Amino acid sequence: MGLTGLEIYKQLPKKNCGECGPPTCLAFAMQLASGKATLDACPYISQEAREALQSAAAPPIRLVTLGAGDHVLEIGDETVLFRHDKTFYHPAGIFIEVGDDLDEAAMDERLRAIGELEFERVGQQYRVDGVALRATSGDADRFLRLAQKAAAAVPWNFVIVCQDPALAEPVVRLLASRRPLLYAATDDNWEKMVQLAEEHQIPLGVCGRDLDHLAELVTKITQRGYRELVIDPGSRETSQVLADLTQIRRLAIKKKFRPFGYPTIAFTSEPDATTEIIQAQVYVGKYASLVVLRQAWRRSEILPLLTWRTNVFTDPQKPIQVEPRVYEVGDVRDDSPVYVTTNFSLTYFSVEAEVEASKIPGYIVVVNTEGTSVLTAYAAGKFTPEAVAEALQRSGIADRVKHREVIIPGHVAVMSGKLQELSGWKVIVGPREAAGIPAFVRSRYAA
Amino acid sequence: MAVERIMERYTSRVREVTLGATAEQGGTRSHTITVGGDSTLPFLHFEGEVPHRPVLALEVNDVPPAWHQLLLEHYRDVLDDPGAWAAKAVRQFGADLVCLRLVGADPDGENRSPEECAQVVRRVLEAVKVPLIVIGCGDADKDNEVMPAVAEAGAGENLLLGIATQENYKTLTAACMVHKHNIIAQSPIDINICKQLNILISEMNMPLDRIVIDPTLGALGYGIEYTYSIMERIRLGALGGDSMLAMPVIVNVGYEAWRAKEANVPESEFPRWGDQPTRAVLWEAMTGAHGLQAGAHIVILRNPDALRLLRRHIEQLMVPNRA
Amino acid sequence: MILVGERINGMFRDIRRAIRDKDPGPVQHWAKRQEEAGADYLDVNVGPAAEDPVEAMKWLVQVVQEVTEVPLCLDSTNYDAIEAGLRLCKKAAIINSVPADRPKIERVFPMAKEYGAKVIGLTMDRKGIPKDAEARTALAMEIVAAADEFGFPIEDLFIDPLVLPVNVAQDHGPEVLETIRQVKNLASPPPKTIIGLSNVSQKAVHRSLVDRTFVAMAMAAGLDAAILNLDDDALLDTIATARILLNQDVYADSYLKVFRSRRR
Ligand code: SF4
Repeated sequence: MGLTGLEIYKQLPKKNCGECGPPTCLAFAMQLASGKATLDACPYISQEAREALQSAAAPPIRLVTLGAGDHVLEIGDETVLFRHDKTFYHPAGIFIEVGDDLDEAAMDERLRAIGELEFERVGQQYRVDGVALRATSGDADRFLRLAQKAAAAVPWNFVIVCQDPALAEPVVRLLASRRPLLYAATDDNWEKMVQLAEEHQIPLGVCGRDLDHLAELVTKITQRGYRELVIDPGSRETSQVLADLTQIRRLAIKKKFRPFGYPTIAFTSEPDATTEIIQAQVYVGKYASLVVLRQAWRRSEILPLLTWRTNVFTDPQKPIQVEPRVYEVGDVRDDSPVYVTTNFSLTYFSVEAEVEASKIPGYIVVVNTEGTSVLTAYAAGKFTPEAVAEALQRSGIADRVKHREVIIPGHVAVMSGKLQELSGWKVIVGPREAAGIPAFVRSRYAA
Repeated sequence: MAVERIMERYTSRVREVTLGATAEQGGTRSHTITVGGDSTLPFLHFEGEVPHRPVLALEVNDVPPAWHQLLLEHYRDVLDDPGAWAAKAVRQFGADLVCLRLVGADPDGENRSPEECAQVVRRVLEAVKVPLIVIGCGDADKDNEVMPAVAEAGAGENLLLGIATQENYKTLTAACMVHKHNIIAQSPIDINICKQLNILISEMNMPLDRIVIDPTLGALGYGIEYTYSIMERIRLGALGGDSMLAMPVIVNVGYEAWRAKEANVPESEFPRWGDQPTRAVLWEAMTGAHGLQAGAHIVILRNPDALRLLRRHIEQLMVPNRA
Repeated sequence: MILVGERINGMFRDIRRAIRDKDPGPVQHWAKRQEEAGADYLDVNVGPAAEDPVEAMKWLVQVVQEVTEVPLCLDSTNYDAIEAGLRLCKKAAIINSVPADRPKIERVFPMAKEYGAKVIGLTMDRKGIPKDAEARTALAMEIVAAADEFGFPIEDLFIDPLVLPVNVAQDHGPEVLETIRQVKNLASPPPKTIIGLSNVSQKAVHRSLVDRTFVAMAMAAGLDAAILNLDDDALLDTIATARILLNQDVYADSYLKVFRSRRR
């Protein structure tokens, strides 16, 4: 990201000696801003100014990573406040907290459940990002024991929630190779926590009492030279967390306010799992980089939140597509109905859902329309009789069914004749909306 | 360290719309409900006003619907009586208002007459004292017969009537004007049509403070992010002074969420998706919660458990915050 | 796009006479009329012929504020007149203008801060208006650096790259457009840009066409505001359309109607 003339000018010595070429510092700043000069041309620039300029050129929010190997979680490095302005880049990491005060059996059970929180829906894989280990008991052995169990049961990432450096140290040591987040540095412990994080080269959470205090604490830590930070304004009530995360994001992006140029972490506070999930969805959309859940862990609770995360972090510029080929829904046979639709994933998955709901197994032949819906594709000449005939041919569906009947979306009924002619398949006009499929297919095919 | 906060200076606000009319105002409602009026983004109390909390409606059908068992179990005793159903929605489940859907008018279904539909509206108006939303069956021609009768039956009650679309808005707008109701202007996930439809309706001299936008919010997992972004743009447009986008927003969440597979399939079929009752209630409540974050003012729901969750959520979002 | 109505200016005969005779009629007529046409600010200029610019400015500000709440853009090279006007303004005004000239800068920015006013900075210095965009931008940079030095918010600074009449200074056109582009890189958040649009068509035939073509080009370059002729409907329609094409307003088939009636 380029610096503006003013940002550069503020760092120049203001001697106006002209040794750099242009007559004044101001003129030199403008040459630098437009890339027509390099900083080295000024012999008087201080090391401090040089560093300030380098850091000003850094992205507004730092990219921080947790984990190692196959399980690297990248957070931060966002550039906008609204997804329609560009996109949100790094999906919020979702962690589930486990305290070391649970009894052994419950601990094992919970960790096992978390380690299995992987899902498949609409052809995509979702999973949680890991477990947050909380030192609740104050007993070092218990905390270490929890960490050992977690390391074995959960293949992904870790947040170590412990503000006592002595208590945290053995756990950090145990998990260091998996680069956990150490949470958190506060007023009381920050020097030791920075030391611990730095020694093991792991990211460090910083928890303030409010925004002002957070900025102060972050500044102290970065002056010490440590920058692998994840910040927490300390608020826990939904409304205030929303306000704080909004200010942090605004200040980082619109003012490039350095102390807030880090990924953020939010902890839920709701006392039961369902209300907690709803609280967490606020933070996933606005603007937490990590969200720690404390009640929810069951599959039915986690799936809606992970789905929301996928939705809100979908690039609005990029149409989502499914691969153009034949899909089987249910236990298909050689007399199952054959549908065609486009490869826009929303179109495809609504058709798939309705075919499934009809309880009559079927084949869906997907035509490559470059991720556009039926009507858009038809209007753009991407869903033509020729394209459908070719997709039928290429898909090899003829070898999988013994009949030659294909159901097309009702919106493109006009292509029936031409398609029949080109493909040799009998064309049946289906309902206009996917929702009409069950009634349609039941009346037609239910034996 | 005193950090200087960023306060956005918006030039305008969302218009307020009031639903219902009390006896003094010529109706029979016990109170009115006002939505909108926001002068900032959703729930950023620190830089603007959010004068009215978003409200929650429960959907009532005039004929027993083919809903999922998980929903029907809440309403089993009232399915045949829309009045009793509405009363249960308000008194037992705490709905702020009722959304009556006249499915029975559908020519492919019971094909009820406009007068029969008007009768149902009267019945519901007697049964509850909260403001009422009435939505047609979705068949444009039939709705054009039914809704004028509904508007007349509810004259004086300051109802919210739907649904006007770009292809079919004139009859409903006229009916709303004659009998002084409010209108739902629906656009298909399209901000340009949203704005254009508001212009078209206002060109018939409908006051702008009687239009509510339905941006067609899809369900969680089914393209909700498209409408989410459109709703954010609608709100930013309203705050930036675009008067044709400055209407309160309604989202039809119960209907959409219950079209999602995730609400409908049992755990036995999809063991990895977890227990269905929790999943279904969350699918609906989460869809509504995303709508709230994007700027919805009225949320129509089906499941009273989802309503309960959102009620608590809204309370928390309405707690004042500081910058 | 911030629209500043140009019409209350002593250069126009009716206003000059009104000032001389203390006749509020024409002034208030144009205040109302420009407000109805959608003015965000009203430029107020006593003109070169005013005998006592300070008194004339005070009178203009008062009579305009009697009929409208639209904020004012106080246009004068006499800073005592501007200060006298600022004292009377009910809403935050714009000071029009200050060149890149140190004594004037030192007079204007402290005054702007005191009255919460915005400032228009001209890309000219004692030597006059440079031709090429780089020199214009360098003068803009001087004003930006000065504003920052005085703790004046850069968002409240408007840079005017000084449009010249096309019939005599055709070669300045592209330089002005380029300056509008470059000014955006001077600071973050950047200063705003403004032009005195009607200047471009002085003494040209097809005035309206020249104005609206240039405004569309300038808007594409990033222009934020213009002092212009709000009586020109075709010009306003062009601005409405440019806003749509630049994705600054949401398109609807009836967008023109909405833009025209936005003050309704
Ligand atoms: S050499 Fe350095 S101090 Fe001298 S004018 Fe250039 S930038 Fe300024």
